[in-house]
Amino acid sequence: MTKKIDIQAAPLDVGAAFGFLQDPAAGGIDLFVGTTRRWTGGRETTRLEYDCYEPLARREMERLAEEAAGRWPVVRVCLQHRLGVVPVAEASVIVGVATPHRADAFAACRFLIDALKRQVPIWKREVYADGSAAWIKGASPPELPAAARRDEEG
Amino acid sequence: MSTIHVLLFSVLGQRVGKRRFTVTVGAGSTGRELLDVLVAEYPEVGAYRSVIRLAVNEEYAPESVVLSDGDEVALITPVSGG
Repeated sequence: MTKKIDIQAAPLDVGAAFGFLQDPAAGGIDLFVGTTRRWTGGRETTRLEYDCYEPLARREMERLAEEAAGRWPVVRVCLQHRLGVVPVAEASVIVGVATPHRADAFAACRFLIDALKRQVPIWKREVYADGSAAWIKGASPPELPAAARRDEEG
Repeated sequence: MSTIHVLLFSVLGQRVGKRRFTVTVGAGSTGRELLDVLVAEYPEVGAYRSVIRLAVNEEYAPESVVLSDGDEVALITPVSGG
């Protein structure tokens, strides 16, 4: 399994991600791109800003890539997140996988974006058209690694 | 005594007003005891106490973790990437 993990301030390049994912061993590439949406309920977002604990974010992304490769026949995987300001309609995250057959590509890609949003120490701040801003809080804390969970349960 | 390097991000970093500082705790203190010290000094940390996950030296850890002198401990509120 070949992986590409990037955390960067520069805009994300979806074409380059696709180019990385191409592989003769793969018959399916699933490439998810998360972008900044303008409207949520009645609130208008003018931009998102992303904060990050970089060493742990990279470590968790590496771990998730390995976990996906353990569960599905992943040939290539690409996990990229942009930091700082991400304007409306621009990409904040790319999750891409290449597998021999499409069912595994969909499943692995879905797993990776859902897990990234639960585990990776990156936080978004929404800046609204009225000038206000708010840090967005996830639904629950990141999970502990399996070994630490066992220790905690004693 | 142990010197702990505390890292704050996002809403906690903004509310406390700093993102990196040191705290001194007793030798052999746990993550829980470190949080007690931080909550006593920063009520903003107290407001998020129930949802904070600790990361010690760049690895998620339970509050029962025993800290060592020089450890880097990040207070991780529920994340919101992507």
